Amino acid sequence: MIETAIQQIFNAAQLGAVYALIALGYTMVYGTIRLINFAHGDIFMLGGFIGFLLVTLIPGLPVAVMIPLAMLLTAMVGVLIERAAYRKLRGAQRMSLVITALGVGIFLENLVRILVGPQARQIPAQLPNKVLKLANGVVITEDKLLIIVISLLLMVILWIFVNKTLIGTAMRAVADNRDAVQLMGINLNLIIATTFAVGSALAAAGGIFFGQAYSIDPYMGIDLGWKAFIAAVIGGIGSIEGAVIGSFLLAGVEVVTVAYLSSNLKNGIAFGLLIILLLIRPNGIMGRAELKKV
Amino acid sequence: MGEPRKTHVTFRNVAVATLIVAALVQLLGNAGLFNNYYLHILAIIGMNIILVASLNLVNGYMGEFALGHAGFMAVGAYAAALIALKLPLPALARLPLSLAGGVLAAGLVGYLVGLVTFKTVGDYLAIITLGFNMIIVNAIQNIDYLGGPRGLTAIPKGTNLVTVAVCTVLTYWILRNLVDSIYGRMWLSIRENAIAGELMGIDVNRVKNLAFTIAAAFAGLAGGLYAQYQQFITPKSFDYLKTTDILVMLYLGGMGSLSGSILGVVFYTLLMELLRNILGIVAPQLADMRMLLSPLILVLIMLTRQYGLMGNREWRWLLPDEKKAEGSDA
Repeated sequence: MIETAIQQIFNAAQLGAVYALIALGYTMVYGTIRLINFAHGDIFMLGGFIGFLLVTLIPGLPVAVMIPLAMLLTAMVGVLIERAAYRKLRGAQRMSLVITALGVGIFLENLVRILVGPQARQIPAQLPNKVLKLANGVVITEDKLLIIVISLLLMVILWIFVNKTLIGTAMRAVADNRDAVQLMGINLNLIIATTFAVGSALAAAGGIFFGQAYSIDPYMGIDLGWKAFIAAVIGGIGSIEGAVIGSFLLAGVEVVTVAYLSSNLKNGIAFGLLIILLLIRPNGIMGRAELKKV
Repeated sequence: MGEPRKTHVTFRNVAVATLIVAALVQLLGNAGLFNNYYLHILAIIGMNIILVASLNLVNGYMGEFALGHAGFMAVGAYAAALIALKLPLPALARLPLSLAGGVLAAGLVGYLVGLVTFKTVGDYLAIITLGFNMIIVNAIQNIDYLGGPRGLTAIPKGTNLVTVAVCTVLTYWILRNLVDSIYGRMWLSIRENAIAGELMGIDVNRVKNLAFTIAAAFAGLAGGLYAQYQQFITPKSFDYLKTTDILVMLYLGGMGSLSGSILGVVFYTLLMELLRNILGIVAPQLADMRMLLSPLILVLIMLTRQYGLMGNREWRWLLPDEKKAEGSDA
């Protein structure tokens, strides 16, 4: 009984780590330019496929090189998308921006589908996957543990980056008041591009981890993207700590649903949780209420 | 200002012409003299116009951001399909009753969802409505009585182009009068400034929910038509992708414009079909490319024409009579 519980906690932690890597991108972009970046789930998918292509095209590429390289390439795509599609609309009405993001997402899905085909693939084993025996007959594979540890490490690096560096301070300033920041001589375009780069890079890591643990296909970004987005909203969109908390909470609920109820219900339950939570705490767990200006 | 220009292009005349053309085309189609593929496209255009125009009430006229329209279409489609399939009704009563059932069911669900969602505003509203879309689809997938993921098949064919045309004209008649009514003004005032509207004595939540319920009911009508036209439905036809399609056509046509909703649907549908055929002729494997081109076109339109083709403008014949004097340049 306790063994299965611990086993499930590890499953939830692994899934939660992937959700968190995506949710952080959502929350950072929302924080800086108030955009629900509907294309972010597809950037996650793209990151997974870039990792997959790197592994298959360059045999023998060490995983310690492959992951950062895929993150870098995906970050470049993220910056490119911001430059080509979003920048011109920054001052426009918000809905055009959201619809543009929807369009970019559909474009990415179909691009990958046309390039590599619609079938699901698994990223060939890269992480060591020996089975570790913990006490009381609890077993966990090394790759699962590594995924959790590397993800947490990335989150810590992000936290230090946002809270302790100069550019991180500028990012938080942009989130707080975009207009005042420009008066202070901060290069707004650079800060927003950095936000997209960092968010996309984290999503790419999530995509690779997901493709390692489960499988990747061109349409996975829709489902996973939505889950991560829900996680970000549950945590309080715009808050980095909130995104992480929300992700692990959502993953926990999902794992319990699959284990004790039915796997068919997990999407419904995820959204149900979201709606209930928003009704109790309209700004999420860590979110702050926005003032109504009259 | 001044006397309205004399013209025969009035709402009534356009409506009558639409019905006559639809009836003629249907008759020719039945006789094998009109290509059935074109007939099919016309019917799809009609159903999509109902969907897009009704969503325009919420997103365009009221300025809220609802994202779950396909969910209400699903409710209407399943309700209508169940009535047509399971109730022993005479053929003549089946179509109106099943459509009415679809409208009522979708309206009711819309009302209940609205009660919950309008406690929040802005982005959260978008998220919650989309959440309900997913919950509805997910619930249908898990109910065996509704066929689960396989859907419902062998629904009696109750709809043809004439039925669709009648429903579209009726929808436009109602929407046009609603937008011109006191409620229409309240929706506009909520879009422009909800707080000011509240201070003027508008019960904002109630009026918002009214628009939402009406929009959901029309989505149910489109769903009912679709179920009895296509004769089979699966939960997948009503998921996030369908909602996206509806949004694309809505924003393409323009917000707050009933003329734009027609234009957006016709333009997008014809464009997609043309791309399919032209690319298919050049090389069959290129037909896939249209799925790449359509989002690109959407992004380009958003970058160049933020308010869509007809944002906040209206064709003269769609304007209510007293506004014609002021005129619209469109």
